[in-house]
Parts: sequence; structure tokens; C-alpha cells
Amino acid sequence: MDSLVGFVGKNYVLMAGDTNAGRSIMRLKDDFDKLVQVDSHKILAKSGEIGDGNQFCNLIIRNVSLYRINNETELTTKSVAHYTRRQLATAIRKNPYSVNLLLGGYDKKDQMGSLYYLDYLGSSKKINYGAHGYAALFVGSILDRFWKEDLDFEEGLELMKKCLREVEKRLIIGTRCFVIKMINSDGISVVEKVMINSEKKNEIEEEN
Amino acid sequence: MFTLGSVLDNDFKSTIEDFSFETEFSTNQLMLPNIEKPFEFAQSIIGLEKDLQENENQLMFHQQKKEERKERALIKGYKGTTTLAFIYEKGTVVAVDSRATSGQYIASQSVQKVVPVNEYMLGTLAGGAADCQFFLAHLGRICNLYELRNNEKISVAAASKLLNNILYSYRNYGLSVGSMICGYDTRGPQLYYIDSDGSRLKNSLFSVGSGSPFAYGVLDAGYRWDLSKEEALDLGRRAICAATFKDSYSGGTVKVYHIDENGWVKISDDDASELWYRYEEKEKKKK
Repeated sequence: MDSLVGFVGKNYVLMAGDTNAGRSIMRLKDDFDKLVQVDSHKILAKSGEIGDGNQFCNLIIRNVSLYRINNETELTTKSVAHYTRRQLATAIRKNPYSVNLLLGGYDKKDQMGSLYYLDYLGSSKKINYGAHGYAALFVGSILDRFWKEDLDFEEGLELMKKCLREVEKRLIIGTRCFVIKMINSDGISVVEKVMINSEKKNEIEEEN
Repeated sequence: MFTLGSVLDNDFKSTIEDFSFETEFSTNQLMLPNIEKPFEFAQSIIGLEKDLQENENQLMFHQQKKEERKERALIKGYKGTTTLAFIYEKGTVVAVDSRATSGQYIASQSVQKVVPVNEYMLGTLAGGAADCQFFLAHLGRICNLYELRNNEKISVAAASKLLNNILYSYRNYGLSVGSMICGYDTRGPQLYYIDSDGSRLKNSLFSVGSGSPFAYGVLDAGYRWDLSKEEALDLGRRAICAATFKDSYSGGTVKVYHIDENGWVKISDDDASELWYRYEEKEKKKK
């Protein structure tokens, strides 16, 4: 039921997640931030069980901090993705974590953003755009159609809103509130906490 | 076999000899098989031999007997409840019902579903009564030890995190805990929802139990941050009353508590059915 969307643009990574936390049919909390900060330039977007997500992300964040303290150097996004995947893979046959993750990060050395798709089964892939949850069904085709390399920030934000509008429109389970975060050379910033309302007809045309 | 005595002994021994955080706060004395879902395995083997003799067709056995085995299982839960809590400007309000059911049978109408953790923190009980009572009492012990060691009151966030970590380590063991940790500390009124799945959520209002949808209806309609104390207590009471009216697994008495900077206080304890008709009469009088 969680929706996570992310893609890479020109020197930034844009990520969005819904802000619902619930139990069976009930929404317990509607401002639950699923995009957790790993360090100054990385975000781990979690979906799946709340408890597993919290504990697993805490594990990754603390170990990344420990590495930084021990070695006085920041890890690259690729390293964090590999480490996370390894933790998921070793746990799958003993004590599985039911979390699906999107890891987005900006590396100062390469001066570009990267996005990794991680699964509860221990799969990991570097992607340009992707999504988790039911959103993946709807948003996959939009991103295939409209994503291109080196999107400007404005174009990227418009594309993200297009994706979120589609999720709100077609997903029968109500997901109106999303949080959009961006990672670039300056670090992580919350772009918008948006509440989509697609009841307004011809919404796209109005904005244009 | 798991016994309460052996757990307490272990705790006391380790506080004297060993100051390690983990061993002292752990309750890892449950002896269940070392497989992925030990509780479900334990339930599945109850009545196994008898059924095998009765029915030799293994496939039918698995499909038909599953419900029967569940009913005959020795580990049953007392489920069905409505508990709610919310924070507002002046503190935290906690309201609960007091019915415990076991299937169609009302086991008790006077269950204590609010467990005091310390003088300014309450824990609510939903799901398995034994699980909640034990872990909340254990949380109370841990919080007391923390205060003695660190000479400061433990925050609600820390207490809820401790409980969360303990419950997370038992997450496939079939525990059923849907507890809310409500309190007032230096950050003001605080409310956390803790689950046996391992979730921990912070919000300004929660309702847990089979009657929670009904309670949410009344609660969401009347909730504001700037309620007066009387209005807030009345809101909590009315929400539980509405839930007991609609949900057959909730009932008994409606207990309301209030927590502010001076600690927690039990405000009222009214019979749920009487309360409903009292409210009805009030409405009639208004008209």
C-alpha cells in the first residue's frame, strides 16, 4: 500500500513517498515520513511493514555513521546500496525484513545523483527512475514515456507531480498526501508536502 | 518452559553483576523451536496425532481441520476491545472499555486495560491481555531502573522505543500487543502507538481495538488541539461509549484517565450502557 517514486535528473535526485501509515483498513497517521535521511546526501525511502522498515533503516543509518566515525570519510551511494543489499540478503533465509527500498544519493566526487532499487529478497539495481508499491504499476509507464536524461528541476518536479496525480487518481486506496524530497550538491531538501486533489477537472490544463 | 519467575531472577541477577544494557532489559527466556514462525508451528501440532488417526487423507486434513485445530489450540487470545488516547493543549486523555471476550463468551466485564508504567505514563492494553500486561509491567520495571540510575525521568519517546525494541525481537512469536504509551514529559503531552509487529508511531490521537473504527468516528469529529479539560474528557468518554454501543466485543465500564504535568489521575468509571442512556436523556432534555 505504500507508494514510493524516484528518478534522477540533472545533478539531482527527486524522490517522493506517500505519508500514510495504517493497519489493515485504517489509516493511523497521515504525516508519516517514509523518506529517511541516511547522511547529508542520501535518502532511504522505505516501504512495507512499519516495524521492519524502522528497525532496518536504523541499522543502515547507524552503521553508515559508524563507518564515517571510524574512517573519517563518507560512503558513496553505491557502497551504501551494496551494504544494504547484503544485509537484506543475509537476513532473507533467517529473519527476513519485509522492506522494499529506494536509495537515492548525490556523490560530490562524481557530481551526479544516483538511484538504487532494493528489494526485500536482496535484489539491487542502479536505475534512472523507479517506484515501489502499487504506484509502480501506474507510474512505470509515465516514467518510461516522459523521463529523459538531464531533466531540469522544474521539468522534474512537473513529472513527479504527474506521477503522483496518477497514483491519487487511479489507486482505489486513498493516497492524497505525499512528500517530495530532492537531493543535490547542497544536500537534502523537502521540496513540497503536497496534497493532490484530482477532483478538479482538467487540472493539468489549468496549470499550463 | 517459560515461567515468570525465571525471567525475574535473570533480571535481578544481571542488575547486580552485569551492567550490560542488552542482557538486563531482555526477556529472551521463551523456549520455542528455532524456526521461522514458531507460534504457528506450535498451534499446528496441537491435536495432530488424534486428527491423523481420524483422517488419513492428508490434503483434506490440512484444509478442513485447520479451523478445528485453531479452536482446540491451547493458546487462545482474549481479543476485542476499544481503547483510545489523544493529546491536547493541557495534557493527555486516555479512555478504555473493560470487556474481555473469548469467542462468543464474555470472559470479564471488569478488566483493567490501563496499566500504569510510572506516575506520569500510562500504557493501554489491546490484543492479548497476558502479553500486554506482562510487557507493560516489564516496561515499568525498566523505567524505574532508568530513573534510579540516571537521576532523571525517562521520556515517553525513550520508554516507547525500549518497548518497541523488545517487541520487535519477538515479532514472529505470535504475541498480540496493540498498546499505546501515553504520558507527559518535558516535551509536553506525548502519545505513541506500539505494536507486536514492531511498529511505533507518534501522533496526536489513536484508537486501538475491534471498536476503534467506531471510536475514531466520534473522536475525529470532535477533536481540536485547544479543547478545554472538560470537553476533552467528555470527548474521550463519548467516543468509547459510542464504540461499546456498536461493537459487541466492547463494553463493561468506561474508564477515563487524564495525564498532565502533575502525573496521571483516574477521572471516572461509568457503566457503558447506563452512560449511553444518560447521554440520550441529555439530548432529549436539550430539545
